[in-house]
Amino acid sequence: MNIPVRPPEGDNRRAWPADVDAAVPYWVYTDPAIYAEELQKIWYGPHWLYVGLECELTEVGDWKTTTLGEKPCVMVRSGEDEISVVENRCAHKGVKFCQTRTGHSKELICPYHQWSYALNGDLQGVPFRRGVKRQGGMPSDFDPKDHSLNKLRVEVVNGVVWATFSDETPPFREYLGEKFWKHYTRVYDGRKLEVLGYNRQHIPANWKQMQENIKDPYHAGLLHVFFATFGLFRADQKSAVDIDDEGRHGILISRKGEQQASEAMSDIRNFQSDLVLEDPRVMDVVQEFPGEETVGMITIFPSVILQQQVNSLTTRQIVPKGVGGFDFHWTHWCYADDTPEMRLRRTRQANLFGPAGFVSADDGEVLEMTQQGAAGSPDEHFILQMGGREIAPTDHQVTETAVRGMYRYWRKVMGL
Amino acid sequence: MSVNPTAAIIGRDEIRDLYDAYYGVLDDVDLHAWPDFFTEDCLYRVIPRENYEAGYTLCTMQAESRGMLKDRVTGLTRTQMYAPRYYRRFPTAPRVTAQDAASVSVRHNLLVVQTLVDKQSDIILCAVCHDRIVRDGDRLRFVERIVVFDSEMIPNSLVYPA
Repeated sequence: MNIPVRPPEGDNRRAWPADVDAAVPYWVYTDPAIYAEELQKIWYGPHWLYVGLECELTEVGDWKTTTLGEKPCVMVRSGEDEISVVENRCAHKGVKFCQTRTGHSKELICPYHQWSYALNGDLQGVPFRRGVKRQGGMPSDFDPKDHSLNKLRVEVVNGVVWATFSDETPPFREYLGEKFWKHYTRVYDGRKLEVLGYNRQHIPANWKQMQENIKDPYHAGLLHVFFATFGLFRADQKSAVDIDDEGRHGILISRKGEQQASEAMSDIRNFQSDLVLEDPRVMDVVQEFPGEETVGMITIFPSVILQQQVNSLTTRQIVPKGVGGFDFHWTHWCYADDTPEMRLRRTRQANLFGPAGFVSADDGEVLEMTQQGAAGSPDEHFILQMGGREIAPTDHQVTETAVRGMYRYWRKVMGL
Repeated sequence: MSVNPTAAIIGRDEIRDLYDAYYGVLDDVDLHAWPDFFTEDCLYRVIPRENYEAGYTLCTMQAESRGMLKDRVTGLTRTQMYAPRYYRRFPTAPRVTAQDAASVSVRHNLLVVQTLVDKQSDIILCAVCHDRIVRDGDRLRFVERIVVFDSEMIPNSLVYPA
């Protein structure tokens, strides 16, 4: 599929490189006008956004705050079998009324003028609506039905809560496509989930860089010496990259190998064949999913990474914060029926991930450095030729095909 | 860990000396000396306050032995990639909260300030430390150190330990 490139026009004179699929200009990371357009067309457009895990809300009235795009939102258990996602913005004056991360209440009340909403976002109470002693009050044509909180469309899919601002978003399963439905349900298989804990970090890099990072298996065995050394993710292992038909979602699949030098290792400068762990319990890995794969890193465009790296399971939510940064919210989880040993194993392996992770800290650092390099040269471009110019699934990881797929889809949505 | 009951009483000056040495080693990035401040079967945690208060054990950094602390140093010095930086730690005076024959519990606040090249200094951690100290052979060591940080959003990476 060949998408024509919009010619430079008006104030936006920036051109896309001639090597359409295999080069991306740095202004995609740095241009505030492009970012503003992304919020409308991508984050508030026809895409499902990750909100949280269903198990974070157990009782009716439990709620959790989050941010979708740049909009503060609340995810609420509004009924025994119902989860609502509403904007955390009072219809009256725009107050972000829920301030804590989590809470429990019978209704949602704004502290400013005490407007109150049902848990599903319906406006219920407006103090002095009919005035006091026949003075003041709202006009007679004020109808509470017209002033509920902005309600998002919601789907709860095998324990994960998804929401979208757009009426045009297809149902979640269709949004994933059948191939990715299979990848998704490999780990999110309908078993009950439980939270193990959170990590939160601000990464000073454009949000797309995080998506790219987990669509790029080329870096995993090179930047991450820990991965390469202990055989968790390496170029010479049997692996695969899959992308959906639109090119927007991706998965990196691999299987754990041993700590041994091989021919491919000669290209990895930092491979440490003599590195020994004093207490190797952090690498006490068990095979728990069907098949031989030990890694399945899924990117669901645009908002989340679903991580299965050996026994460490996380959702990593991307919250864009302007063109040059994003907040990264990690939720580590386990299955509700996990043994205490398995829970301990998962929390131990968490040492590899998050802001202090043996592996993930590398990513945060290198994303910041990329943003620094891009900032001064918005009209230069980066090279996306590893594995050729094709956009198709591969059975190896020496490729940037999934990144090419994302940018082809991105240009389509952005009309560029 | 051997505990000598006759030497169990741990004095305030000794505690102060332990912290001066501990934070001195970390501020000087003498990382290989760091694990020796802990007992062989220690528990070390740097944990977000929200996890700690919810009863979650998921940590940002965790070690369940001196060996794992050594592995943290190995990971840092031989496998991780990060921009150069200075960390400087500002602990408040240690406050003894409990003492028994074997150990003393100490609590204090901790600020960790990070300075990156070309950047203004930034607070990377604002935390309270819950430590348990024992006499282990001829010196004091941490048998437990739980650093509970308020910081809601870590400015990118937490590279060095607290």
